[in-house]
Amino acid sequence: MAFVWPIGGGKGGSGKSFLTSSLGRLSAKAGKKTLIIDLDLGAANLHTLVGVPYPEKGFSDFLQKRIPLLEDTVIKTPFENLFLISGARDNFDIANLPYAQKMKTLRAIAKLDYDRILLDLGAGTSFNTLDFFLISQNGIFITTPEPTSIENVYRLIRSIYFRLIRYCFTAPEFKSLGEEIENRFGEGAANRPDTIMNAVALLHPDRYEKLQDELASFRFKLVINQMRRYDNASLGPQIGRMVEKHLGLHLEFAGNVAYDDHVHDAICQQASFVDRYPYTKTALDLKELSRQIVEHAGRQLSLRDI
Amino acid sequence: MPKNFERMNYYEMLDIGPAAAAFEIRHAYNAARQIYASGSLVSYSFFSGEEREKILSLIETAYQTLINEGTRKQYNEELVRRGELEVKDDASAAKKTMGIFDIKRGPCTMVTLPGRDVLKDKIERSETIGTILQQEDIYGADLKKIRTELGVELEHIAQMTKIRVDYLKHIEEDAIGFLPAPVFLKGFLKSYLKCLCLEPVEEISGRYMGTVARSGGG
Ligand SMILES: Nc1ncnc2c1ncn2[C@@H]1O[C@H](COP(=O)(O)OP(=O)(O)OP(=O)(O)O)[C@@H](O)[C@H]1O
Ligand SMILES: [Mg+2]
Repeated sequence: MAFVWPIGGGKGGSGKSFLTSSLGRLSAKAGKKTLIIDLDLGAANLHTLVGVPYPEKGFSDFLQKRIPLLEDTVIKTPFENLFLISGARDNFDIANLPYAQKMKTLRAIAKLDYDRILLDLGAGTSFNTLDFFLISQNGIFITTPEPTSIENVYRLIRSIYFRLIRYCFTAPEFKSLGEEIENRFGEGAANRPDTIMNAVALLHPDRYEKLQDELASFRFKLVINQMRRYDNASLGPQIGRMVEKHLGLHLEFAGNVAYDDHVHDAICQQASFVDRYPYTKTALDLKELSRQIVEHAGRQLSLRDI
Repeated sequence: MPKNFERMNYYEMLDIGPAAAAFEIRHAYNAARQIYASGSLVSYSFFSGEEREKILSLIETAYQTLINEGTRKQYNEELVRRGELEVKDDASAAKKTMGIFDIKRGPCTMVTLPGRDVLKDKIERSETIGTILQQEDIYGADLKKIRTELGVELEHIAQMTKIRVDYLKHIEEDAIGFLPAPVFLKGFLKSYLKCLCLEPVEEISGRYMGTVARSGGG
């Protein structure tokens, strides 16, 4: 079974695709058969970052049943060991993927035969994005050290938290829980994850324990990208600690990735950044990060009866 | 687990161990102030303005309590009573908290309750209190009514009993999910009743505990 690393961040432009392609490249270089999947349908560009300007097939062929097996939509990249499922030529938003198709896709991803699978998720917090993020217990959040990006990543983290709570109940159960909460704690109370947690503790103590176990089984990671020299280097650890303290979610700081103008240069040259500029601080940061992904051998894949 | 910040003890709030020295407390306090400050990038958009203010004021209280040797000692005793702290080699712990820095030794302000006689007299004469004390069910809300009638502030009770104000509030608000385990709750309640000169303590607290149990708590 593959190790899946979903990469999400609330905000566009924070570096999800750059990180996915770089980590994919480094993992492949380290000898792992690596697959990167572009799930940012509608704004796909991962192929461009790994030297495949015109992908001849992709994810849409699977969705539209032109290619029955997901594994047959995989294409090679110019790099040994690095494979891609492109999201190009798809003009719909993953948010609109019907439930049955989503389930089918999640199962298909879980079955793919690769050592490492990285998912490039689009911006936003649609249920489908959240479900893809939660396919594994090792989702990676990425943000830049700017308030706009931080704001978006927090929104994503809270949505994920909410979604995890939601998983522990059937739809009718969750509906009646919501009503119970609104009755007891006032209107709007059911929209706040912490209120829900308190209410579950109060009203369904048995479920509460299960829920806590569930929350504790996730080991999210946090990457701060585009760090400039004068940015606070301990922003990441502080965020991780705070999220853990206030939401009870494990959010481990995985590392900072320095800002470097050469990233822009490499992208414009359609070259792999870590190959073209391997001794920049940014490339070294990425190498350090990739080690965590390459060497990881813990528990994985949480595809429950979502 | 996502324990509410308000329900953490002061050490947890500041992310320090119970043996932390003064300089560690100071350091943790400064770090926390930075993290939760309204201009902070770390907590940007994470809290509402109201939540932020509440957290900052709790941090302030935590710091003031722990940095002062006297109040810290009292607080530790309270934690021991609540079962959140174990009594260990007291001598070495005390030495550590002395630290190399000068500890602020502000006098611990005491507020005074109305005298026992005054309270007892009021209880005798108040119809409201009499009615409540005859009820089979006694809720936290009833206790609050009595206390208000007697003109006693919750903070007074907190100071007298060393029970945290928010715990007392939870009792008065019947916030069942936030109440401590029954053994502690009963202890808290008895101290509360004693403070207000409500008698017989054992009997009234028994009725209250029964009410709580029937409402799904305890
Ligand atoms: N570490 C870095 N240093 C300098 N520039 C960077 C760095 N990381 C990303 N960038 C720049 O940010 C741009 C956006 O990155 P990327 O396309 O990976 O973002 P994204 O999160 O995938 O955005 P979207 O949500 O729109 O898909 C890149 O084109 C690159 O120029
Ligand atoms: Mg992208």
